[in-house]
This record gives sequence, C-alpha cells and structure tokens, in this order.
Amino acid sequence: MLCQHCQKNEATTHVKTMVNGKYAEYRLCPECAHELGYDSMFTDFSTDFGGLLSSFFSNALPAISGATHCDTCGSTLNDIKRTGKVGCADCYDTFFSELMPTIRNVHGNTEHKGKHPGVIEYTVNEDEQKADNNASSKDKLGALRAELKEAIEKENFERAAQLRDEIKGLEG
Amino acid sequence: MSEAIVSTRIRLARNLKEYPFPIRLSADKAREVVDKVGEALKDCAIKFHRIDLSNIPDTIRVAMIERHLVSPDFISEQDGRAVYLSDDNTVSIMVNEEDHIRLQVIKDGFELKEAYALADQIDNILSKKLNFAFHERLGYLTQCPTNLGTGMRASVMLHLPALRMSGVVNRIGANLSKLGLTMRGLYGESSKPSGAFYQLSNQVTLGISEKAAIDNLQNITTQLIAQEMRSRENLLDDIEAQDKIHRALGILKSAMLMDHSEAMRLLSLVRLGVSEKKLESLSTDTIDRLIVEIQPASIMTRFGDDMSPRDRDIKRAEILRDRFN
Ligand SMILES: [Zn+2]
Ligand SMILES: [Zn+2]
Repeated sequence: MLCQHCQKNEATTHVKTMVNGKYAEYRLCPECAHELGYDSMFTDFSTDFGGLLSSFFSNALPAISGATHCDTCGSTLNDIKRTGKVGCADCYDTFFSELMPTIRNVHGNTEHKGKHPGVIEYTVNEDEQKADNNASSKDKLGALRAELKEAIEKENFERAAQLRDEIKGLEG
Repeated sequence: MSEAIVSTRIRLARNLKEYPFPIRLSADKAREVVDKVGEALKDCAIKFHRIDLSNIPDTIRVAMIERHLVSPDFISEQDGRAVYLSDDNTVSIMVNEEDHIRLQVIKDGFELKEAYALADQIDNILSKKLNFAFHERLGYLTQCPTNLGTGMRASVMLHLPALRMSGVVNRIGANLSKLGLTMRGLYGESSKPSGAFYQLSNQVTLGISEKAAIDNLQNITTQLIAQEMRSRENLLDDIEAQDKIHRALGILKSAMLMDHSEAMRLLSLVRLGVSEKKLESLSTDTIDRLIVEIQPASIMTRFGDDMSPRDRDIKRAEILRDRFN
C-alpha cells in the first residue's frame, strides 16, 4: 500500500489517532511518518507493531516446524506475518521455532521473568513435584506457598504480596 | 513528588486460553468474552459498570480516549467490544481490544507502585475465574508478540516544557530505548504533539519482571525530572521565558477563538509558570482538568455532537476565559 501522505513510497507505519475529535487511521511511509511527527518519539500509544514485526519475519529463518496452519484457530504463518498478530495461544506452540527469532529481536530475551497466573495451581503442582527434594529452603518455600494460597483465597492481598516477595527472594 | 509528573498508568494484557485472540474471534464469541469478564469482576470489591462500544455515540467514544480510559485502537471497531469502568474512572478494563483483556489503572501524580498493586490485585481476582493463556517460557500470551511475558506496560505522563524549549527532549528520547524505555508525545490533534506532555513507558515485557521494569521506569523518571528542574531554573531567570508565560496567560484570558494546538501550547506554558510559582492563585490541578475539558470530543460531548471546528474554537476560548478571569 502506498503512503497516504506522499502517495509515492510504500507505507510501513499504521497510525491510529484522532483528528479534530474524530477517530482516524493513516498508513504512512517512514519519511512522512517522521515529517508528520509520528516517529518513535511522537507516535500515538497504539501505533501498531505489525509492520515492524513483519519486517522481522521476512528476515527470520524459513519454516522449521513444517506446520502449515494452527489446528486450533486456523491461522497460517503467512496470516501472522501479514498482520503481525498471532491467532491464538496454541499458535505460539505450533509456530514456536518460526516466531522465536522475532520474539528475540523484539525483546532481546526469550525467557519470562515475573508473575505467573493462578499462583494457586502453580504452587500446588510445584509442591508435589518437589516433595521429595530435601533442601530446607524448599520446605520453607512450600510452607510460604501454602500460606500464599490461603492469603489469596481470603483476598488478603497485602499479606499475599509480602509472601510473594519472600518466595521470590528464596527462589533467588 | 514533582508536579512535572502528571499521572501514572499501569496496563496489563491478558487473554483467555479457551478463546482465539480477538483477531480470530467471531462477534458472538467476543460477546461471550465480555460477559465472562463481567462475571469474574463481580468478585471484586470495586464496582464496575459496563459500557458496550456499539451503544454509545462516537463523541463519547472519543471523549473516553481523551481521558485516557480507552485507546484509539479500541474504538476502531465497536462490535463485541466493551469497557468496564470503576466509578472513579481509576480502573478501566477494555475487552477485545488487541487482547481479550486490557486492564488499566491510572493514578494522579507519581504512583507507580500503588498503581501496580491495584492492577495486580484485580488481575488476581480475574485469574480465579478466568483461565489465562500462559506459557512457561513466554509468560502471558498476547496477540502481538511485543507484549509477551508480563504483558505489562507501565507509564508516566510527564510535563517537560524546559527540556522541550531547550531541544534536549529529542536527544533524550532517542537514547531512552537503550534503557528499555520509550517516550511519546501526547495530545497531538492533527499531527505534531502540542504542549510539552510526554508519556514514558517500558518497552520490553519479556525477560524482565514487573518489579524490575517498574524500578527502572521509576529511576529514569526521577533522573529526567531532576534534569527538567535544573533546566527550569536557568530558563526562568530569563525575562524572555517569563514574558512568554505571562503572555500565554494574557491570551487565554482574552482570546475569542482558540484552536486545540494553540490552547495546548499556552496551557503548557501557564502550567510551567504555576508549578514554578511564577503565577499565583492557580493550581496545576486546575490546568490538568482544563486540558481534558478543552479536547475536541470532550467539548462536543458537553455542547453538541454537531459542532464544527470553528464552533469548538469559539467554545474553547469561552471555557478558557471563564476559568482564567
Ligand atoms: Zn510518504
Ligand atoms: Zn492458533
């Protein structure tokens, strides 16, 4: 698609913004985006990353998994490249090796650090798996996690936050 | 802390495991997701009211953007999209924007830890009823890979008039990405941002914990503000800068026509004067409220959907004269 401002270059930036109190979208080339103030410094919060992402994809390795589409949502790798958007949670497993180079490029990292959802389930499994391990800090971790589970169930979030910090400290 | 920090925002992206992401979601399924989120929110001590985008006029949708309650992207489509708002508008939960859930907490001033604690609490309550898409290695799964990991975007809205006047702000902006942060201008109506309002946020969400990202943002913000304050001292010794501020107030007091970008530029100058005690009898809170009030859709919401830009410029000048005289 051509840039809507100069009508000459290929549009790479998709800007969603407001003009005179109305919602508006523009597709711009990098030069015009810069000239109009929509560069990295001045872009609107929701400028979409699809363009950026699909340029990463084009440099990425060819298909490794060999999967043609995601069984859950039907997305093909091409759909994801074209839109910069992943179709569903399972796509991440289906296209894991194809997505990985892009993810590394964007974040400089591929290992999550931080919060886990449903800490309750997570800690219970963890405790069972690690029940045989004998390190004393593990025992303490188990106790803290049990207490955390209780605190969360009772919605005592202040206590839960303290406990989580303690657990994080022990996990190192 | 400093009045140069206008507000703080935390946003968490979450998706439900059993539904495809919004890009692959049918309108029926999207409405199911909206209902499920509403159901899960009932366990929360905070009361939310639901607003379906398809049920409200366009000006209200845009006015919500002007108040930072929803994103421009969110209103680009209306079917199957809804927002849950707390009574005080501190918490907004957009359903089916780029992700099933975009939970956002906004607080006045510099309140990163407090805002995160609240977002975290609500997230915990939601996760009791909702099965979030999560990957041991990639963290919270999001429609756009740029939000993988914590799915958290923490940001502060800054008023940096001195750094902007000295031109330093552009140089800083370019260097921030090395520190894992991005800075954007706010309140641009047509193309360029007007006034010296910026949003500083963390750029990376995978491989950095919520706490580390917030600490980093907090540190850099503190440094940036210290720099702004130093520039203000030099700047305000200058009679020309003082003249600019007082002239800005003079125009706001007497203009009959005021377009959006001129208003933003003048309010930004007056805000500088107020927070540096060069203009007595005004507060930055007053200015911050005015900034929202004089946005185009906010004017139309109050005074009529069919206003032309010229009608709005007349009304805007009137609002400002009222407030400053
Ligand atoms: Zn162009
Ligand atoms: Zn899929």
